[in-house]
Amino acid sequence: MNDQPTPMHAPDLPGLSAYLDGELDAEERQRVAIHLAACPVCTGRLAELAALSTDLRALPEESLGFDLAGVIESRLAAAPRRTVARRRRDWWMGWPAAVGSAASIAAGVLMGSALVTGSAAAAPRMAAMRVFDTMPPGNLCVGLESCYVKGSVK
Amino acid sequence: MADDAESELIARAQEGDHRAFAALVRRYQDRVFRFILRLIGARDEAMDLTQETFMKAHQALPGWRPEAQFRTWLFRIAHNAALDVLRRRERIEFVSFADLPAGEEDHALPDPARQPDQRLADRQSIELLERTLQELPAEHREILLLRELEDMSYTEIAATLGIAEGTVKSRLARARSAAIAGYQRHSGDNRHE
Ligand SMILES: [Zn+2]
Repeated sequence: MNDQPTPMHAPDLPGLSAYLDGELDAEERQRVAIHLAACPVCTGRLAELAALSTDLRALPEESLGFDLAGVIESRLAAAPRRTVARRRRDWWMGWPAAVGSAASIAAGVLMGSALVTGSAAAAPRMAAMRVFDTMPPGNLCVGLESCYVKGSVK
Repeated sequence: MADDAESELIARAQEGDHRAFAALVRRYQDRVFRFILRLIGARDEAMDLTQETFMKAHQALPGWRPEAQFRTWLFRIAHNAALDVLRRRERIEFVSFADLPAGEEDHALPDPARQPDQRLADRQSIELLERTLQELPAEHREILLLRELEDMSYTEIAATLGIAEGTVKSRLARARSAAIAGYQRHSGDNRHE
């Protein structure tokens, strides 16, 4: 994008697209705005981008049509050992003694590391990684760390 | 989005409170479903995958940290699950600019006869846009969905997809260009029919 617009030039599409999204810094934004005021080609291109955005946002919204949350809650209640749960009595209190003790031993193994280290990061994070270890490669969420806001990662 | 009520629900869910986790699911179930459905196309499969996404999120929840935005974290899990399905279908195609007629992306101009608020007034326009979206390479479709339907910032999209913000900027521009070209191609087809 030039400050002196020529009648036929290729618009800086990433620049216009980011301008539309409000993702340019103040200096870049001003530069694009000044250019747009004098360039019908880029103004037309921006109008197309804006129209596409408006249209996509106006598409009919699908919904599940049922309460998945209720289904998930039932599934979790049926398979409680997967959670690192402080409130474990919720699920094993009512069990026959033999089953209950076997289950609590097994659960203790799972929960031990998390309880020993309290709220420290190491154990739960390892538990989370184990979850993904059991999945096929396509499911690997190796980048979960990148979900963290920059600067907050230790 | 990351309000106090949500933080409270996450904290309780991390402690094993299933009802709190269910409340989180209820907040996001339709949006995650919508994202997956538009990404993979098939409704039944999208329902299963939405459920799978939340089950995976529940399993991974102990590893979630308050520094992470819950929504991008959740959508990243959905993204991985959907990508896996697409790979299995061998439907992943990467950037398809070579398929576009030369120059089409640069000289197409908006139709001045159509006002923005009327653009999708008719069923035909909606169908054309839906078809255009489905024909885009998955990575283009996905980034458009995150930006336009989820209204994510570039930082949030980068975190969701695990790519640099600079890549978000360039990929989004390519995706938009391809969508506009595809839509105009379909509109042209219809006029000539
Ligand atoms: Zn220009």
